[in-house]
Amino acid sequence: MNKMFVKILSLCLCLVLASGALVACGNKNDSYVIGLSGPLTGGASVYGTAVKNAAQLAVDEINAAGGLNGVNFTLLALDDQHDASKVATNYASMVDQGMHVSLGCVTSNPCLEFCTLSKADNVFFLTPSASANDVVKEDNAYQMCFADGNQGSVAADYVNGLGLTEIGIFYKSDDPYSQGIYEQFKANLNSSIKTVEALFTDANTSDFSAQIDTLKGCSFIFMPIYYTPASLFMTQAKGKVADNATYYGCDGFDGIESAEGFKIAEIPQKISMLSHFNSKATEGKAGDFIKKYTEKYGTETLNQFGAAAYDCVYAIYNAMKAAADAGENISPDMTASDLCEILKKQFNGGFSYSGATGENIKWQSSGFVDKTAIAYVIKEAN
Amino acid sequence: MRHSKSFYIKNYLNYAIILVVLIVFTVLSLTGSAKLSTLLLLEKIAISVILSVSLCMVVGFLGELSLGHAGFMCAGAFLGGKASALLEPVLGNGILTLVISMLVGGFIAALFGVIIGLPALRLRGDYLAIVTLAFGEIIRSLVMNAPTSWFGGTLGLPTPKFNSKYLFIVAFLMVLACLAVTQNLIRSKHGRAIASIRDNEIAARASGVDVTKYKLFVFTVSAFFAGIAGVLYSYTQTRVQSVNFDYNYSIEILVMVVLGGLGSINGSIIAAVLITFLDVELQTLLPGDLAVLQDLFYALILIVIVIYKNAPGLKSFRERYNLRKLLIGRFAAAADAQSSTDSVSGKEEE
Amino acid sequence: MDFLSALINGLSSGGTYAIIALGYTMVYGIAKMLNFAHGDVIMVGGYTMFLTLMALGHPLVALAAATVFCVILGVTIERLAYRPLRGASPLAVLITAIGVSFLLQSLAQIIFGSSPKMLVQLQISGGITLGALSIDYSTLLTLAVTAVVMVVLSLFVKYSKTGRAMVAVSEDRDAALLMGVNTNAIIAITFAIGSALAAIAGYLMLCKAPSLSNTMGAMPGIKAFTAAVIGGIGSIPGAMLGGILLGVVESISYSVPALAPFTDAVEFSILILVLLVRPSGILGKMRREKV
Repeated sequence: MNKMFVKILSLCLCLVLASGALVACGNKNDSYVIGLSGPLTGGASVYGTAVKNAAQLAVDEINAAGGLNGVNFTLLALDDQHDASKVATNYASMVDQGMHVSLGCVTSNPCLEFCTLSKADNVFFLTPSASANDVVKEDNAYQMCFADGNQGSVAADYVNGLGLTEIGIFYKSDDPYSQGIYEQFKANLNSSIKTVEALFTDANTSDFSAQIDTLKGCSFIFMPIYYTPASLFMTQAKGKVADNATYYGCDGFDGIESAEGFKIAEIPQKISMLSHFNSKATEGKAGDFIKKYTEKYGTETLNQFGAAAYDCVYAIYNAMKAAADAGENISPDMTASDLCEILKKQFNGGFSYSGATGENIKWQSSGFVDKTAIAYVIKEAN
Repeated sequence: MRHSKSFYIKNYLNYAIILVVLIVFTVLSLTGSAKLSTLLLLEKIAISVILSVSLCMVVGFLGELSLGHAGFMCAGAFLGGKASALLEPVLGNGILTLVISMLVGGFIAALFGVIIGLPALRLRGDYLAIVTLAFGEIIRSLVMNAPTSWFGGTLGLPTPKFNSKYLFIVAFLMVLACLAVTQNLIRSKHGRAIASIRDNEIAARASGVDVTKYKLFVFTVSAFFAGIAGVLYSYTQTRVQSVNFDYNYSIEILVMVVLGGLGSINGSIIAAVLITFLDVELQTLLPGDLAVLQDLFYALILIVIVIYKNAPGLKSFRERYNLRKLLIGRFAAAADAQSSTDSVSGKEEE
Repeated sequence: MDFLSALINGLSSGGTYAIIALGYTMVYGIAKMLNFAHGDVIMVGGYTMFLTLMALGHPLVALAAATVFCVILGVTIERLAYRPLRGASPLAVLITAIGVSFLLQSLAQIIFGSSPKMLVQLQISGGITLGALSIDYSTLLTLAVTAVVMVVLSLFVKYSKTGRAMVAVSEDRDAALLMGVNTNAIIAITFAIGSALAAIAGYLMLCKAPSLSNTMGAMPGIKAFTAAVIGGIGSIPGAMLGGILLGVVESISYSVPALAPFTDAVEFSILILVLLVRPSGILGKMRREKV
């Protein structure tokens, strides 16, 4: 046994060494590498896939148009399965492969880890969809989506203005997105409004009979959750929740009308949401994006995550171009940290961008995004 | 049988190899010539080795199936992590904070080990397996749903983080400590008592072995090290999240122990190194659209290895095309003779 | 009344757990192995229904197709992955089963993609109202199917020749072999029955909640295994009882706001409590270990 142990362990050691234990000598890339870590497999993979596809779409377009002064971009998308403990490995691998700039992570929990890691090397990132407030707590971090706290308070303001006395809340207690909005919403809701609450966790993502039972008396149900469980809830709640009730969600509702197999027309209730992207747009920048995306990848993964990722790549590209035009020296040989300083100066200095998820988007130096939310009725009551 | 008084160099070879790896990479790391990805891989490997060696005690030597090892790790990660988060403002983010929180995490996990060891006195086999799985899930659920101010709720508990340049050194030292405790325990008379419980509990009891004491003892020691691995893990993360400690993680640790050959500590070490390496490589080598293939490769490799190693029908095939024989040729016979008389590693090819 | 509707919801999800648990319990009783891939057979059945519905459109045809496909799959898995390991350490079999579970999940993801599919064609909506209490048709269907499955299985095991052979193999495989029972065939039949039950369970799950994903079987599988152990693994009425008990506990726990987030913990605590009192489950056989 021990002899084998020696042999095999030395073999392992060789493997580790062979995998390139030593520092690579600087960036030898002839293109700008954009790193991205997202759930490409597992339960949250629909979001990661959308972001990866849309970012690739933007990168391809930019390259086809000649890149940045003749230098192409490369997207390096690695899988984190929505698991923060896999992010460090991905990040290190991106650094090994000469990452210049990043889209961070697709989902909030992993992105918090990414934020800490990227701060150490001062790598600029603009996340399309990780919406927890703390994601942008470092100065190298920026968001394209609304932060959760922001959505919760905007939604509460809206509900406060409706003059209701009792509302239902349906949220996912083990999801920071849902929990974050829920907490902010509760904190900003008028105390005179009574709430009936039901929650679910990963363990029962498909059978909501118990929750429907709790909420069936409510005429207004706030659902800060993603559209898949929401569509299931609505399908199962047919005939139980009053037909003239309203379902109100946040940007997680986006894409609900095209959820596969979900017959939205058969849902009697009104469905509305707070969002930055209209996935039914046929014109404008959003319409363009939708057309290009569905031509290449179909409608299955079309959602606001992808739109935001598309915007992120273009925003980074525009900012780099603006800096280069202003005389900054930008080349693939530069370090991520130098590029980060240049980009930070752009983003903090009034740089603005118009794209699929909003017009004239600007960033606060805290990293939060400034843009208008679309209050959007997906479907009126039947 | 081994002559217990004599000093056999081969008994200490695993320490030597680990020490050499540690020294080589410490030098590389301190001179700044090791890559971040390598250091992270070493951290992960060290944590996996501690977990698999400590689980090997329960599964390989005590003969009880545990699917809750990640639960102990979870307890260690959160309570040790909480301790380090509280200590950091007072003592700073230094080695002292790390050591104290490792002790806290280890002892609290050990306490859970006692609690889970109690049903082990009454339950056997698969019943115990599901109870340990249940325990792990309960710990996870409690931690996840505790008030946000306790364990950070859904976003996880923010814990201090160590620079990757140094953390793997601590982790490797803990591997050595874990190995020292386990190996010495197994080679002592207590170790033989524990193995006797595995082989025949009633006979062991009849021969005067205090089964209750030993069972609780093994669970406790094993949980202690899982707790320490948990604290180390918390130091690799900005926030510790309970979702990482689900039963699938317990299963992954069990896979390491089983693939390593039950009752073989060195086997567990090798399997832990290889599986962790495989995980990381699959994750980083398959970007973009290829990422869906990770699980497929992992599953296929797992099935093929287990069937190859264990299928009774493949016994003659295994003997003919033995990796060991191919590697060391005609000395194989001697090596085989040695390993079959080795009371420690004799169990795997039953 | 809230309690009563929680109870009825619980009976319904409990019925589904019970059917999955029956599959677990039979395979465990006869092959003496934890078939960790059992939950994933449910998922494969779900996708088969999805494909058949696309092509043919009738739910019952889909169910039949799924049952047939699951049976073939179950027997194939047994033949390729488990039978070569007969006689090897039980842990090796357990690890292989885990490998098969990963394999099925990743294959489903590769073939069908990652976003969940909705199967509204299977959904049964509506229900009957008794005073303030309303009961879904899907709940009634689940309960009826569960009862029928249990009775048929019990009769089959008790009176048919194959059933008796199953009992014999479960009691003592070597002795059964010596008595002329073709143990390999019996184990294959057991896997076939277990997989057919998984397909039925998948159908019931989709009737209530028509969402299909590659991990849809994982958690119900673990819960059903828990149920089988609570009831006494190897016992058919035990699986039934355990399933229903677990479903009711789950549903009641969800209806109590303070307990709702801890529902998983509550369910698993029930398991531990039951096993502490009765180490072989509620209806399990107590066996004294002999020297």
